Amino acid sequence: MNGKRSFGGGGRSKAGTQGGQQGKDGQRRPMFRRRKVCKFCADKIDDINYKDTKLLMPFVPERAKILPRRISGTCAMHQRKLRTAIMRARQLALIPYTAE
Amino acid sequence: MNRKYELVYVVSPDATDAQIADLHTQVEQIAQRLSGVIEKTDNWGRRKLAYEIGPHKEATYVLETINGGGELMKEIDRRLKVSDLVIRHLIVRIDEEQSVVDRTRTKRTEASRRRRVARGLPPDRQPGEGQRGDIDDDRDDRFELPEGLER
Repeated sequence: MNGKRSFGGGGRSKAGTQGGQQGKDGQRRPMFRRRKVCKFCADKIDDINYKDTKLLMPFVPERAKILPRRISGTCAMHQRKLRTAIMRARQLALIPYTAE
Repeated sequence: MNRKYELVYVVSPDATDAQIADLHTQVEQIAQRLSGVIEKTDNWGRRKLAYEIGPHKEATYVLETINGGGELMKEIDRRLKVSDLVIRHLIVRIDEEQSVVDRTRTKRTEASRRRRVARGLPPDRQPGEGQRGDIDDDRDDRFELPEGLER
């Protein structure tokens, strides 16, 4: 268990140094990462409609898979609604299932 | 039993305008027979399909908003499944979702009004106020369907 933990910690610090920047006095600073916000909460979009392909398209990038929450930053409630909307739009061939 | 449903059907591109109109009257007749009302009909026209369905690459989309019971939608579903012209269709119940949306929307505006009054401001946003003064927060122009659906 201990070994596992140190392994995970090592991985994290490695990522930190890779992304870190050199300060003036040579100190390493952790990379600044912008906090992700749910697009639908921020823009106050209440209903995610399957007819609104313009809204849905940014969440189905090239491969036409649904963009995961960890990347898009969408909150759980809106990701759920987004998923149903995308699945409905796919049935009607408004959005592709896969990219050929 | 008064529920609100949304029906979208995708008609094969070979269908003539008369055939599409005929489909609409068929749906209307079923609705009349089972005491339902068609509230709105919207023909989106010819659109490119996101993927090929059989031999088709484009199709005509028709959206109908129907007020009625579950039995009615069952019958429409059955009829559309049988129809050769309709290549895809989708029936969604919308009244529940719509009420939830309305509730959250009114809740939010009320909360913001309360906050503004507590801060000693007029309850509604004044024109030219705030960082994005010119932009009206409550605008909702996402549903101009003919343009909105173009990609």
